[in-house]
Amino acid sequence: MSNRFDDRRPTALEEQAHAEARQHFAEHLKQFPVSREALERLERNIAKTALAANMAASKPTENVIQTNDGTQWHKSVGLMDNICLYHHPITGGAEYAVVEHFPARGTNEIWNRGWNAEEVLKAFAQEQRQALQIWTEDMTAQVKEFLGEKYPGQDMSRVADSFMHRFTHAVSQQHTQAHEQNHSRSIRI
Amino acid sequence: MKNIPKLEEPSVTTERLAYSVQESADMLGVNYFSIYRLIQRGKLKVCRALRGKLLVPRAELLKLLETQ
Repeated sequence: MSNRFDDRRPTALEEQAHAEARQHFAEHLKQFPVSREALERLERNIAKTALAANMAASKPTENVIQTNDGTQWHKSVGLMDNICLYHHPITGGAEYAVVEHFPARGTNEIWNRGWNAEEVLKAFAQEQRQALQIWTEDMTAQVKEFLGEKYPGQDMSRVADSFMHRFTHAVSQQHTQAHEQNHSRSIRI
Repeated sequence: MKNIPKLEEPSVTTERLAYSVQESADMLGVNYFSIYRLIQRGKLKVCRALRGKLLVPRAELLKLLETQ
């Protein structure tokens, strides 16, 4: 992956700062691509997922949860970690909701709900894009703060830019493994 | 010698007023993305530090826990 230190090679200090930032924000570097890839997968499969949800709504499921308003929801499709699309039958159809389960608190948060599964999924995906954008902006600020405190008086803007490039373009380990498997499969062919 | 009563040391408040997203995620036992989702939805009101870093006020975290 490119370091994007423009046309000038990074100084030893910049390399050190970059390594420290990578170490300090290792968990973010790990979690961000996983979340982004989950969202991209969801966006690619919205129509298919909505169809699966419509089919699931036509038959009873055992996986039932209750949200704060007392409504009971049946699981239709899993979307992301602890986030699923649910439905509950109503006269002449079903209502759909994207619900996140918070295991530590044992609560369920409804993110989006509506009568049309595809619309509910689209609205959810759009909001996830905005949440990722907030994450990216916060990360930029955190990196600048970290470098500013570690290297006061030094211009670390290239390090911050390079780090953010790595952050927004990082791929998850899972994605890399899948890519390597596909690659080795294609070599065998 | 006269006994001089010891003065009680003033209690030092170490409770912080706000936490980073990472700390908030740890405290609530959720992942980062869930915190940014809550922020995006306006369910967690945040403020910004000088360099723009997001901070979640302690009161907001408590409010979120109480409303669940």
